[in-house]
Amino acid sequence: MKKKQFIIIAVSLSLLSVVWVLLTPLLFPVQQAEVSQTAPHRGFYAPGFTLETPQGESFSLSDYHGQPVLIFFWASWCSICKAAMPGLDAVYRDFAPQGFTILAVNTTYQDTLSSAVNHFQAQQFAYTLLLDRDGAVSAEYRVRAVPTSLLIGPDGIVTDVIIGSGISEGFLRARVNALLAEGEE
Amino acid sequence: MFPIINLGPLALQAAGFFLLVSLFIGTWLTSKLASGIGANADAIETSILVGLLAGILGARIGFFLKNPALFMNDPFSLFSLTPSMLDASFGILVGVLTAVIIAQNKHLPLWPTMDALTPLFIAVFCGIHLANYANGNAFGLPTSLPWGIELWGTLRHPVQLYAVILAAALLLWLLVHTQLLTSTGFLHSGTLFGVVLAGLALNTLFTQAFAVEKILLGELDFLQLVSLLIFIGALALISNRAFPARKKVGVMLSMGSNQNPALHLSQATQMLSDKFRIRRQSSRYRTEDVSGDKSTPAFINQVVEIETDLAYEELRAHLKSIEGALGREPGNKKQVTLDLDILTYGNEVFTTHKKHIPAPDMLKYTYIARPLAEMSPDFRHPANGLSIERILAQITDQSAVIKISEVENGTEG
Repeated sequence: MKKKQFIIIAVSLSLLSVVWVLLTPLLFPVQQAEVSQTAPHRGFYAPGFTLETPQGESFSLSDYHGQPVLIFFWASWCSICKAAMPGLDAVYRDFAPQGFTILAVNTTYQDTLSSAVNHFQAQQFAYTLLLDRDGAVSAEYRVRAVPTSLLIGPDGIVTDVIIGSGISEGFLRARVNALLAEGEE
Repeated sequence: MFPIINLGPLALQAAGFFLLVSLFIGTWLTSKLASGIGANADAIETSILVGLLAGILGARIGFFLKNPALFMNDPFSLFSLTPSMLDASFGILVGVLTAVIIAQNKHLPLWPTMDALTPLFIAVFCGIHLANYANGNAFGLPTSLPWGIELWGTLRHPVQLYAVILAAALLLWLLVHTQLLTSTGFLHSGTLFGVVLAGLALNTLFTQAFAVEKILLGELDFLQLVSLLIFIGALALISNRAFPARKKVGVMLSMGSNQNPALHLSQATQMLSDKFRIRRQSSRYRTEDVSGDKSTPAFINQVVEIETDLAYEELRAHLKSIEGALGREPGNKKQVTLDLDILTYGNEVFTTHKKHIPAPDMLKYTYIARPLAEMSPDFRHPANGLSIERILAQITDQSAVIKISEVENGTEG
């Protein structure tokens, strides 16, 4: 290719690119309505739900508006879940006075109720155990593997979705700290 | 969206899986291209691997630097094997710096190395977008087009797949253009890197229009503006590398003769100096024919460095004419009045008419490497960065090469 040809191609592509960048806001405006939808994904409002504890007490996500919440989907046969839970308990005990909540949602539809409850009680976790008996909430949250963890900011918007062992004590501590600091500003 | 790949009882994180596979395929293709153009494939692979490990460690350290209280709380979590507590920007910085330091230590030449890395860049670009697709990240605007995908409650542009498809087309072009990773397909090192960089920047600039998540600078998207700058920078790089101003380059030549060699080498030197400035020349060396055929008379070899502003093809034609003037019969490998080969052309790395420059023979034969080491003790191979000492140490050619005459070195200009 001759240098002249190259310059013609380069200049035309550059001009087209500039036009495309300038036209993008007109052709593809981002609707402000996007975020008002609910979805189990970063940047969306967390879908609402109401579940019961093994004792029959009802809890709703909407009860915790204005506070950071961790929703932790787990099963008693899942060793990664069980390894993560004491760390979550430590963070919960430190931050609960500042309004932090953990809802540990047991995927009861694919677990044995008694072993889930026994495990939870034997470990004396301080946070709330909820039972998803028919799997409706797990389906709404698109849980495809346990543990799946969603951290929700005080405004009700999902800030983190972590599938698997990434939900470690250190990570949660750092994120909850940041969310509480944001809330104070 | 499919964040989990189920393999029997195994649940794999699709995003991590795509990133690993893209790194693996990219490194493999880069290694092939590096071998194809004569670059140092082993050193490049080492830089990638060590850079990657350093990057992961750096990402963890970066996270702890930003959250120092955690370290007080539980210092051992610095080493926990969970895929979280990572700070991406710090990790990339540490990883890239580590790779650059290793590359410098191994004297990897910049542009041939960047050319060799192009398949890795494209593969990782695909891997990142596939990972985003799997996790439902960086999703597209709502659309009513028939190929829209259902995600987060709406039919959307599969913007991550647009990026993957365009990048896959770029990779396909690269495979064809490099003739299946056997050369860069350009006469000047760095051109291939420029083209791939321009391609990936253009890809991002185009597809980002369909994305929802944008960092806006006024009305305009920051990522598109950055891509535009990178694209223009890449064009400037191509223009600079592919169309250099004509200036004098140093060219190393290998001369050999086994028919009245003293005369023919002197005549050839004279004919070269009529047309070019001769920077330096080695002593002459006597070599048994490397094919091991005892009936072939022994060769006298010498290397010469000339200075020229001729383009490679013109230079090659001129050298052929010198060979012809001294009575070289093409195809006759037993009686060679004069053989005149180009070893290096400046610092360029390219393949043309099935000839590789730098000539692979200098890595194989003592009769080239020995005189080269004498003439230019500080020589480094333009493609793989090896010093002439290392090249000599690695050569397995056992033929006897005996220095036979002292030639006064020309002065370096």
